[in-house]
Amino acid sequence: MDNGMEGMLDTYLFETNSLLDRLDEMLVADEKLGDFSLDDVNEIFRIMHTIKGSSAMMEFGSLAEIAHHIEDLFFYIRDKGIDSLDPQHKKELFNLMFRSEDFLRGQVEKVESGEALDTDLDSFSADINNFLKKISGAAAEEPAAEASAPNASAPAASGNLPDDKTAACFIHVFMEEGIGMENLRAYMIINAVRECGLDFRYYPEHLESDSEAAAAIIEDGFFMAFESEETANKATDVLRTQNYIRSYELASVPEAEPEPAPAAPSEVKPAPAPAPAPSKPAGKPAPPAKPAPNAPVKQNLISVNLNRLDSLQNIVGEIVITESMVTSSPELNQLSRDAYDNFMKSARQLRKLTDDLQDISMSLRMVPISGVFQKMTRIVRDMKQKLNKDVRLTLIGEDTEIDKTIVDSIQDPIMHMVRNAMDHGIEDDVQERLAEGKSAQGEIILSATHTSSEVVITIADDGKGMNPEKLLAKAREKGLLTKPESEYSKKEALGLVMLPGFSTNQAVTEFSGRGVGMDVVKKNVEAVGGVVALSSEEGKGTTFTMKIPLTMAIVDGMRVTVGGSIFTIPIANIRQSFKITPDKIIRDESGSEMLELMDSFYPVVRLHQFFGIETEVLNLEDGIVLWVETSDRSFCLFVDELVGEQQVVVKPFPAFLNYFELKNFGITGCTILGDGNISIILDIQGLHAAALENA
Amino acid sequence: MSEELMTQEFEEISEGTEDASTVERCLTFESGELVLYISTKYVIEIINNHTITPLPLMPPYIKGIINLRGQVLPVVDIKQRMGKEPANYSCGRDSCIIVLDIDSVSLGIIVDSVRQVIDIDLKNVRPIPLKRQQKLLDGMVTMEDGSVFMSIDCQALSVPQ
Repeated sequence: MDNGMEGMLDTYLFETNSLLDRLDEMLVADEKLGDFSLDDVNEIFRIMHTIKGSSAMMEFGSLAEIAHHIEDLFFYIRDKGIDSLDPQHKKELFNLMFRSEDFLRGQVEKVESGEALDTDLDSFSADINNFLKKISGAAAEEPAAEASAPNASAPAASGNLPDDKTAACFIHVFMEEGIGMENLRAYMIINAVRECGLDFRYYPEHLESDSEAAAAIIEDGFFMAFESEETANKATDVLRTQNYIRSYELASVPEAEPEPAPAAPSEVKPAPAPAPAPSKPAGKPAPPAKPAPNAPVKQNLISVNLNRLDSLQNIVGEIVITESMVTSSPELNQLSRDAYDNFMKSARQLRKLTDDLQDISMSLRMVPISGVFQKMTRIVRDMKQKLNKDVRLTLIGEDTEIDKTIVDSIQDPIMHMVRNAMDHGIEDDVQERLAEGKSAQGEIILSATHTSSEVVITIADDGKGMNPEKLLAKAREKGLLTKPESEYSKKEALGLVMLPGFSTNQAVTEFSGRGVGMDVVKKNVEAVGGVVALSSEEGKGTTFTMKIPLTMAIVDGMRVTVGGSIFTIPIANIRQSFKITPDKIIRDESGSEMLELMDSFYPVVRLHQFFGIETEVLNLEDGIVLWVETSDRSFCLFVDELVGEQQVVVKPFPAFLNYFELKNFGITGCTILGDGNISIILDIQGLHAAALENA
Repeated sequence: MSEELMTQEFEEISEGTEDASTVERCLTFESGELVLYISTKYVIEIINNHTITPLPLMPPYIKGIINLRGQVLPVVDIKQRMGKEPANYSCGRDSCIIVLDIDSVSLGIIVDSVRQVIDIDLKNVRPIPLKRQQKLLDGMVTMEDGSVFMSIDCQALSVPQ
């Protein structure tokens, strides 16, 4: 039973989180346009309804209650049409919605971490209700006053129809007596009619949320207002099938009723029709047709446990290896020529299929980066208001696909960088921007592009840029300099911001400036095998570039031998490979070897010495030197021989060996070669740390 | 004198394990001059002639890793683990590896040869009355023919040191 509950909770959390994500996406997109589209209003209503229902089922009272209030609010908006709100109200509505979203998220997080939910919701729900009152008061003032008249003051007479100027025909429905919850039952009837595709309005307007309406309905029934008799007749067919109806009567509006004066264009226009838009009163600009505003590609298909994808990946990797073991088996030579040809034909077919299988299983793990980017729009939006800076965020290449595990680990880095760009990058004062000849609105460009093996993500702002001298001064203050200031190149000076404990902001702000930013960014990106680079032009802006491998599971590797061992070095780390003669080697006082390449000196690590492997290749001219580099470290590796290039499936070491922390020795994992042998994959970064820094 | 001591300990053990079925199926194997046994519940399989890929910078008793049908397993030379001379094998040839799964830690141990599966009554297992540094063995039992088998401490084996 507990398990069933757990599973339900998982489902609930997953569902609620995806709904909130969807909500966030819509809110951000709509806010850009400054308006809610009709579809989105419906969608928000639906989302809140779902959250309310499932939260109530799971007995998460606070979630259910707030969702309920928002649902009410959007019910009203949906009913009245979003156009009934003036811009000021819309703005407030957006802020209210973002607050609500944050609140709901906060509650969901509490559910996730098993904390108690908030119980004091009064002030927040009052805010929502006040807003509802405000807009309903402002928008429906006049008609409400009139409309309420027939309901409240002269209820008995059925001839007293609600004030609906466009209605041609009313159906007056009386409920059975003593059924209870008359308003909700009436609402269900209304829904049933609406589901038949009929377009109408009903009075009292908020009968499902307004408990007072129940009394009115008992007393006086409720009205449905139709624009033509024809639809009203159809509706009566539906009503006949409904329960709890005592009687209903059809009443036409007298022809004599004067047309409403078109004097008040902002007056409520109750037209929640998804069907052909009813003609709008002149003077009100028709809402622009909304081509889904560069809708991000969000896949909502099925969710699969990542572990299963991992095992699929592993098995496919095995199949590929086994396949090449079979097809290169020496026993094949004993086949007759014809039999061999036949075998090879089938083998080629198999190879093609396994290749396809591998591609597909890889692509299963790929998700668009849009999810991460969307979160950034939200962050920019919030910071824009808090910091009072006018900034627009431009997203490029949101549909770039990237391995799921990597997406998760680059979200924080991107967030840090966007925050930094907002906080430090963009000028505080608009005058500064104008003086530089830039437009008043700052811009942050977040872009993602593919290369064959990497994703390149850039975060560029057009703010004030960085001053290398200031960075150096700051680093000196913090004692972070490792060599005389004059020897720092501009690039190196910029690189200082990525050192731990470096923060140029004097004041710690809510968003950044804690000095844990950039070095954490760098560490996170390096953890997934990526690199961070930074360029900045004072006065022009700053650009961060992250290069991240598409996937961690497969590496393009160069196989090298040292003694009897085969090592795999990621191709991305190899800059050059060459033979050298011993006279090129320069030694320091302790005999450590260095090489001069392109006017710089690089240390040489003899892999056989470092790993303590016996080999016959001891002379530098017999082996080969690989010039390798990671983000900012570059050195030379001496190995026996290059074997060849190959894509390999990375396997982690067995748990037993975790104790030894092989990563500290520059070994990240291993891979199984086509012949069944194991090759050890080197981590150049770790190797540098182990062989040179701690030597 | 020592016999007295052993009987005492024997009684203590037998008291503790009275009710449960105390007979366990065990795999016996040779390592150096010792005959060792391990409960078959830990044994996955026995493999021969596997190429061991050495891992650099590891303690000498970790011989490396093997590829067992796609699974990468560490291989431990229990002789060296017990502080003796390394087993006499030439990197894979003639090596006999027992693949174990000890509480979901998988590893292989190199032994000289595997004998057979026998039933051992745990009531007859006595602790080793010596203090040692490298505690890899945690019990001994005398067989009917008078030979003494030693028990491997699987928990100690599954935690590297």
